[in-house]
Amino acid sequence: MAKARALDRRRKSVRNIRKITRTMELIATARFKKAMDRSVAARDYTKHLAKILGNIASVGADVAHPLLEIRPTKRTAVLVLSGNRGLCGGYNSNVVRQGVALLGQWKSEQVPAHVSVSGKRGISALKFRGVEIAEPYTTFEDKPEFAAVAPIGRAYLEAYSAGDIDRLDVVYTKFDSIARQQAVTETLLPLAPPQATATTAAATLASDDYDFYPSAASILEEILPASFLSRLFKCFLDAAVSEQVARMVAMKAATENAGGLIKSLSRQYNRARQSQITGEIMEILGGVEALKK
Amino acid sequence: MANQKQSDTVRCVIVTPEQTSLDTQARSVMLPLFDGLRGVSHGHSPFIGRLGAGEVRIVGEQGGPADADRRLFVEGGFVEVAHDQVTVITQRALPVEKVDVAAARADLAKASGEVAAGDEAIDAKLRAVQTARALVRAAEARR
Repeated sequence: MAKARALDRRRKSVRNIRKITRTMELIATARFKKAMDRSVAARDYTKHLAKILGNIASVGADVAHPLLEIRPTKRTAVLVLSGNRGLCGGYNSNVVRQGVALLGQWKSEQVPAHVSVSGKRGISALKFRGVEIAEPYTTFEDKPEFAAVAPIGRAYLEAYSAGDIDRLDVVYTKFDSIARQQAVTETLLPLAPPQATATTAAATLASDDYDFYPSAASILEEILPASFLSRLFKCFLDAAVSEQVARMVAMKAATENAGGLIKSLSRQYNRARQSQITGEIMEILGGVEALKK
Repeated sequence: MANQKQSDTVRCVIVTPEQTSLDTQARSVMLPLFDGLRGVSHGHSPFIGRLGAGEVRIVGEQGGPADADRRLFVEGGFVEVAHDQVTVITQRALPVEKVDVAAARADLAKASGEVAAGDEAIDAKLRAVQTARALVRAAEARR
């Protein structure tokens, strides 16, 4: 009986685990939808900023700005966006691997790096690898708020204009589609220069000649930091969405796996029980035979 | 203005980094540009302008109360006016009703109390004081 009972106990615990993973999957799905909605709602801002930038670029304003100029990298800053929690497949480890590779590259070029990490998982993983973390953030969950991201971005802008850093790379998980998320390194500073959106710009320029108050250059000066902040915010939003997708997929796989395990355990349990019963019958029959003699 | 025609209105869209917080038709929109207020109504010529801290006032909103204007506090940003559409792009848009007067006053006192040294610090201080003052003004005007 001992073996069958042990199997039954294992089956029960696997059932409990399946319940938990299924619930986590549902929670991750709900959170993913919310995060996705926020991410979609945030696109308007970027779109409008890009439109104004395109307009400025197409009137041929002088687009020289400290945030655009590419300087030799003497000091760099790296921001790694990971999750606060695990159980989300390769989400955290992919980001950490990408981050470690980038840091290794800077190290080999002997460029000191100012490392900031968001998410407990990333913090502990990078600490374990002996990375010195200047700023750890653990407050960003599935709903990053612009008001919380903006101060971080402003600090980077200040450091950049003061010359404390010459470059900012953000390592995060880019959300391409629900089936595809990728750990990427994106260079946010220096900013990519604004492009005059060739076809549309020419068309709009013909129809509306914008006046600029106070001037195109002054608007550019203000709009570049805003554009940087919105790109940084987008990274946080993408990371949040990707984390939920990764957790959803991981938990779905875990639930399915638990189902398979339960099936095979049930089979083993039934077989063990049956052979036990057979054994007992044989014993009884043996006893009867012995009594007959 | 019960039978207001569609063609007499401007569309006002307010976009923040998190969401499009307002999209409505109105008779006119008052914008706090960097150097003062500017009103925009139907047929305004296209322009792009920098905003200062202050309130965006939406006059004669369709479907809104007739006697009161909708007012939002914005802290800098940009505005794009073209084709009877006013697009306000700002980092923060707060309905004036939700401004906390006491907190705004405290901010103003703190901003004006700070000692600034150097050009950049002075600029930052002036900006902080202006923002705080505009916020207090917006909060007090509603009463």
